[in-house]
Amino acid sequence: MIEILQWTTLIASGAATLSRIPNLVRRKNRSIFYALALLTLAILLSIDGPYLAVDALLGGANVANLLLRFIIFGAIFFLALRIAVGFGDSRGIQLIRGRTGMLALGIISAVLVVCFVLMDTSGSSAGLVDVAAKNQQNALLVEYYGAAGRAYPAYVCLAILPGMLRAIRNPLPALLRMSAALLAVGSIAIPLSLLFPLVPPGLGFLRFTVNYTAILCFVVGLALIWVASARAGRKHRPLAAKRR
Amino acid sequence: MPLPAKAFQRWLNGVAPDTSTAVICRVSGVKRTTLAQQLVRGKVAETTVVSISRAYDINPVAALATFDTYSDLVSSSLPPSDRELVSQIATVDLLRAVIVRTAPTGSAGTGSTGSGSTGSGSTGTGPPELSPPPHATSVKNWVDAIDDGELRHRVSAATGVAPQNYSAQLTANRLAPELAVATSRAAGVGLAGGLVATGLVTEAESGWPPGARQAALDRLSDGDLAALAGERLQALGKALRRQEQDQEQTERIWENLV
Repeated sequence: MIEILQWTTLIASGAATLSRIPNLVRRKNRSIFYALALLTLAILLSIDGPYLAVDALLGGANVANLLLRFIIFGAIFFLALRIAVGFGDSRGIQLIRGRTGMLALGIISAVLVVCFVLMDTSGSSAGLVDVAAKNQQNALLVEYYGAAGRAYPAYVCLAILPGMLRAIRNPLPALLRMSAALLAVGSIAIPLSLLFPLVPPGLGFLRFTVNYTAILCFVVGLALIWVASARAGRKHRPLAAKRR
Repeated sequence: MPLPAKAFQRWLNGVAPDTSTAVICRVSGVKRTTLAQQLVRGKVAETTVVSISRAYDINPVAALATFDTYSDLVSSSLPPSDRELVSQIATVDLLRAVIVRTAPTGSAGTGSTGSGSTGSGSTGTGPPELSPPPHATSVKNWVDAIDDGELRHRVSAATGVAPQNYSAQLTANRLAPELAVATSRAAGVGLAGGLVATGLVTEAESGWPPGARQAALDRLSDGDLAALAGERLQALGKALRRQEQDQEQTERIWENLV
């Protein structure tokens, strides 16, 4: 089940990235392409097989995991910023790009790196499961490291959530409101991941479900905006133009 | 809210005995699938009755009055008030009237036909014919015209429809026929007025005398006319601005996320 969800998410996100290539060439909203490409890469790295392969290239000391965290930060930054700009949420933009946002990013990144350095990270392991199992100190550090890794996406999502909730009630076209609703669900799911340490071990699948639903909601939400645009018969239709 | 299918069948039997549904649909222009669906659900829309009665040369208001919900439609035939009549004049027509009245007498005729009235049939002399109701904000204007300040509360108390739902219908220039009649009843005006404002029946069908709206317009003083036109323009401006803002927001989403 979890495998299916992972690969589905990867395919959806990969397809969304590919569909942005025409716009990348046209130099139109290129940051969306970068964000989606980073997101796809992040999903790939969070799946066991690809993770082990990439980490082996990077020396087998789980540097790939640290890389994964920063990839996620980058993807979520670009994506959330675009969304906030698109929905005219000036407060959200301020919270992401302004001083508070940069401060949050800086502090969280520092904590992330410090935790990583303090850990004994030898031995490639997706999700750092084996690393945490080594000793008490490592287990604690992995916990903090994980929390830091989830903290920045959570911050950014909370920043754009009010704007999304407002957009749902706005008199926008139905598809755009649906898209705002999906983006809102995604922005709620990601901060929920901060509660993961409280989830009893027996319900571990909940973590995966929350993570991947969040990503799926974001990708499908964005795709709906493109569908709405194509439906409205706008001139630059990336998808329709490619199909013809 | 709509009419019970049983009563409708009984009525239809009286109107067009021994006529197949297919024929009735063809004559009245009601879609067969629509009618079939309404019959299956047991609720027939008022528009269906109106279309069929028109096809069989029956007054739609009288036809509606044969149903229990609308039984008092015919018996109380209060004439429409001037305010009601004027509320059913389109904003453009009001503005045209302002121009005609205020233009210097010499150039009034030629000036207005040159720019304003696009109707090809209008003769040069008389005032250009008013466009028939409903117009873009006819429902809200009608309710405003008969509202004494408490009307909405009374309607919502009488029908159980929440005030915000009622307002939403007015804003969308819609009003369920039953609500329209309930509104007239609560305001103590002619019961068919709301049906005209919603476009369910025509002025003539509701018993408004021909030319009544024009006459009511002519009775308005210059000051009242100008003030009324101003109110309408202000409302129009607000609605247009809101529309533009929504459009802008959609555009911005496309600009940034597509």
